Amino acid sequence: MSFAIRNKIDVTVWLAADVIAAVEILPRARPLLARLFAGRPASSLLKQIPRLFALCAVAQQTALLSAIETARDEAITRTTKQHRIALVVAERIAELLRGLLVGHLAQDIAGAAAIRSVMQGMSALIGSGQPACGAARREATARIVAGLAAIGMPNGDGAPRPGSPLAIRIAALDEIDLKSIRIAHSFLSVADDRNIIERLLGDDPTFCHCPDLGGRAPETGPWARQMTRDRLWLGRSGAVERLKARIAEIVRLCDWLKSGAHIDSAEPGIIESYRLGSGRAATAVECARGRLYHAVELDPQGQICRFEFLAPTEWNFHRSGPVVRNLQGAVLTARRHQKAVRAVIESLDPCVGFTLRFRKVDDA
Amino acid sequence: MCLSVPAKIVKILPDHMAAVCIDGVSLEISIALIDELDVGDHVLVHVGYALAKIDPIEAKRTLELLQALGSTGRELRP
Repeated sequence: MSFAIRNKIDVTVWLAADVIAAVEILPRARPLLARLFAGRPASSLLKQIPRLFALCAVAQQTALLSAIETARDEAITRTTKQHRIALVVAERIAELLRGLLVGHLAQDIAGAAAIRSVMQGMSALIGSGQPACGAARREATARIVAGLAAIGMPNGDGAPRPGSPLAIRIAALDEIDLKSIRIAHSFLSVADDRNIIERLLGDDPTFCHCPDLGGRAPETGPWARQMTRDRLWLGRSGAVERLKARIAEIVRLCDWLKSGAHIDSAEPGIIESYRLGSGRAATAVECARGRLYHAVELDPQGQICRFEFLAPTEWNFHRSGPVVRNLQGAVLTARRHQKAVRAVIESLDPCVGFTLRFRKVDDA
Repeated sequence: MCLSVPAKIVKILPDHMAAVCIDGVSLEISIALIDELDVGDHVLVHVGYALAKIDPIEAKRTLELLQALGSTGRELRP
């Protein structure tokens, strides 16, 4: 069996009567990319990235390219940075939309068609890396607006159009959503970059697949971004809130792209690079599923002698991270049983493959 | 790390589904995210969904790369 087919996270939920007593997470096999990359010219690796990372490929390429440039002490122009931010944002929208379809609207034929149309509009808007102009821009924008309207995207009041596929999905999710547990939430942000990057290139080889920040395993992704930005938590933290955050972010980013994708009005920290000494650097990119890090060390010939990366999944599916925190202690009911647990897991990332098993503590 | 794998479409099924062959393994996947796919086309598959259409040469190179990575990844599986 190929590597990709068994590329799933195993989640085991331990039940004591109707209460989730514990959640065990067995991470996916982690390929040794550093071994693949070691000794190669840095430039040749940029072509390999989209083959390895079909999801968030632009963010991955941007992270590696920017880290290499920074390690070489090469400066980029403001225009180049603006183009890269626009591409990362467009990809983030496409990935968030893909998550809507995969996690919520897969059975909705019209919804799927609308999402395809929006994604095509996104490609037309900045597909060449340059924002489209004139008639092409107007046509792409109209396509995006129509597609978003078709699935019920809100227009400003923040609520999906009543009766739309999104509104129906939110209502259905609300029916089964686990009652929020009072827990201390923690969110990954640009303020954590320096600490993470220094540890990525530090001496602890486990950090890149089992990270922690002083014992914390913070959440990253659309809801974490919303909470970090707005600092407005109304006490609920279930699958519905994460879906609403995903929807709000799509609307907000589409508005930013349609208004010209100016760097001055971009959210902070979309692409941040850090030089850590001669030939050593790292870049953080805010992609759809959270904050992504690439760190490189170059030898005097410009070849990569060390490469480390840290994906958002390592935080969200950490053995003591957001999935565990949001499930442990929850009381399940007949109506809110397996579907509710699955909904919480998928709300953190609808595009991560996982297996879910339930076991009783008494049977252990 | 979200890897996807190349697959060849062997049959188009109703409801935006397709039967594909991945490295000799048969699977049914959703093709709801991509327009106008035919039998014989190659796609990248992730979590049961076709993400993008790719050409056969790119599919072969990607599969070789993933297989090389797979042999190293197994060393870390607990």
